[in-house]
Amino acid sequence: MKKTLTLFKALILNWVRSRSGLFFSFIFPLLLLLVFGSVFGGTRQVKYDLHVQNRDVDFYGTPTNLSRAFIEALNSTKSFTLTLVPSKVNPTEYIKKNTKPFSSRIRFLIIHEGFQSEAINGSIKSQINVMIVSLKSFMCFAGEHLTPENMSQLGRGLETLTAVNQSLPDVKGGLTLLLDPSDTGGQVVKGIIYSVANAFSFKLVGAREVITLKTDSYTAKTYSAVDYYLPGYIAAFIMTNGVIGVTSLATDFKRRGVLKRLMTTPLTKMEWILANVLSQTALGILLTIVMIAFSWIFFRVTAIPGLYSWILIFLGAILFTGFGMVLAGLVKDVEAASAIGNAVAFPMMFLSGSFWPLEIMPTYMQTIARFLPLTYLSEGLRFTLILGYPQGAVLDFILVGFLAVFFIFIASLVTSWREK
Amino acid sequence: MPVIEVRELVKRYGDLIAVDHVTFEVSEGEIFGFLGPNGAGKTTTIEILEGLRQPTSGFVRVLGLNPSDPDDASRLKWRIGVLPQDFNALDRLTVRENIGLFCSLYRNKVSPNELIKLVDLDEQADTQFYKLSGGLKQRVGLAVAMSGDPDLAFLDEPTAGLDPKSRRETWKVIEGLKGLGKTIFLTTHYMDEAETLSDEITIINRGRIVARGSPEQLINLYGGERKLVIKGDEKIYTVLTEEIGKKAIKVGDEIQITFSKSNEAVEVLRILSLKGLSFDFEVKRGSIEDVFLKLIGARITEEGELK
Repeated sequence: MKKTLTLFKALILNWVRSRSGLFFSFIFPLLLLLVFGSVFGGTRQVKYDLHVQNRDVDFYGTPTNLSRAFIEALNSTKSFTLTLVPSKVNPTEYIKKNTKPFSSRIRFLIIHEGFQSEAINGSIKSQINVMIVSLKSFMCFAGEHLTPENMSQLGRGLETLTAVNQSLPDVKGGLTLLLDPSDTGGQVVKGIIYSVANAFSFKLVGAREVITLKTDSYTAKTYSAVDYYLPGYIAAFIMTNGVIGVTSLATDFKRRGVLKRLMTTPLTKMEWILANVLSQTALGILLTIVMIAFSWIFFRVTAIPGLYSWILIFLGAILFTGFGMVLAGLVKDVEAASAIGNAVAFPMMFLSGSFWPLEIMPTYMQTIARFLPLTYLSEGLRFTLILGYPQGAVLDFILVGFLAVFFIFIASLVTSWREK
Repeated sequence: MPVIEVRELVKRYGDLIAVDHVTFEVSEGEIFGFLGPNGAGKTTTIEILEGLRQPTSGFVRVLGLNPSDPDDASRLKWRIGVLPQDFNALDRLTVRENIGLFCSLYRNKVSPNELIKLVDLDEQADTQFYKLSGGLKQRVGLAVAMSGDPDLAFLDEPTAGLDPKSRRETWKVIEGLKGLGKTIFLTTHYMDEAETLSDEITIINRGRIVARGSPEQLINLYGGERKLVIKGDEKIYTVLTEEIGKKAIKVGDEIQITFSKSNEAVEVLRILSLKGLSFDFEVKRGSIEDVFLKLIGARITEEGELK
């Protein structure tokens, strides 16, 4: 054990002083967490730029009440940074003039002249429609209880309402959204404006939402997207450190003769494997601590790893160190080993649900994910580290533990402590 | 009892016979030079002795242990020190840390500082390994080979690729190790190295032992002719070959003539003086290089290839 610990210390020291090792094992994961966390999971609300031209103004250029209210409604969604464009400006020229390289595409919303009157007409027409439908239904269902006189009066009323309705002009929309077809955020903007316009119409007609959806959290704690990413990232980088890092280290030691030199000392093969397992575990623990601290500082994610999380991290480190050792034992060439390590690690990283939920992936990919050990490490860490529910990770513990033993066993078989 | 005993050792790789019925012995406290060109079977033999490779057949005992037997090999590792070809260590560890790492893998505690002093690396003790020159790296390797206070040290091409100055410094260290009473098994393709350092030399070529003995014995047996080395006027070569009719070889700016009797050399020098040619001369005895040339019919280049 003393020899293992001595080599473990040396491997750690060697790694700490290696800038590239430090970058790929620590800085790269942290940068990735920062970038992904900021883009997808930060606390900041996404805001879209929207240029609004209100042409529904009076003689003095003052916006009508409804068009102003609509703009306020857009603003109240907090989804837009609005830029108001004067009503006389030509949209095409405005867009051409204001489009800058490397900036987002211009989204231009025109509130047409007559927006208010059309909305009111539309509202009256809708209300009359509702009355006509209601009256018809009443006459149909309650007809036998009414006197012929009542029926005749109701019939006359129905005729009058239909005549008024037909006299009102058809509603022609009142809004135009100009989008660049290549604008990826355009559809989101369109969706939000559509929702606002719908809500606005409901209010005008005086209708109420029949079906409402209320969302609530089923746990005491609320989770952000970074809560999802954090365990996935920790798992993914324990995997890359093992599959790529250990493979590269072992093949490099082999190529440079360091391994052969170690073979001629009293160090045994299992002590060599164990020293690597220990160094990867230490790395995993360090990476977990730093990533959690980083997530707390930048995203206020509070994840305190308990005993189960540490056990899983330890098992994960054993599993992927074993995996790396197997690769290094089977592939003699450093470049080939490194290429194979990358070819295994990167698809596994993206297919295992570490970076995004499995549910959003196609079914066949979800099936593949179920065969990847990283899937279970990520899932297990999510249960233990974030949800504080280790009971949910029983299968993950069993599989990661079994694979850890399996890969170390295979590694001990394929690691040659003698030349051929 | 010999420290190393090898009889009829054979190592095959498919159809290739890397080591072909090799037999030799190494006595305690000597430097045993195993000389041969690249691909002669030196490293294969040394790795069989270290327990790193399995022989195809033959009898091998190192310090009374059989390196092919896993239990014996484990015991042997405590008692031997190894400097492999192109020694490398952990790049980002300092000289002291690397030597310290290997020292702590053994029970026989040797102080890293003592080893640093032994290989004269005090000034570089806190320098990271990757920053060292080739010669200094080999010296770290020598220190590491001594880290278990071994009875027997295997040094495989310890000065390959080093500049002449580094090579001579490494020789000094190896002589120092011998002074400590260690038995040293040295493989090399450098003739001068084998001749300078070895008590016993075994020449191996294409997996077979070609000759064995002390440097003096080998030179007396196979390289007995002495050489007259002349440096000077350009006309000397023409005079020697055309007028005197001697077989002369140009080596750089030197002209070499071999002779067996002293008066032959005196006669040549007298004629050259009478011709009024200016020159300088020295008489060299035969060397291991001559032995090799005679036995193999070729020289070994700096890179270890036969030429």
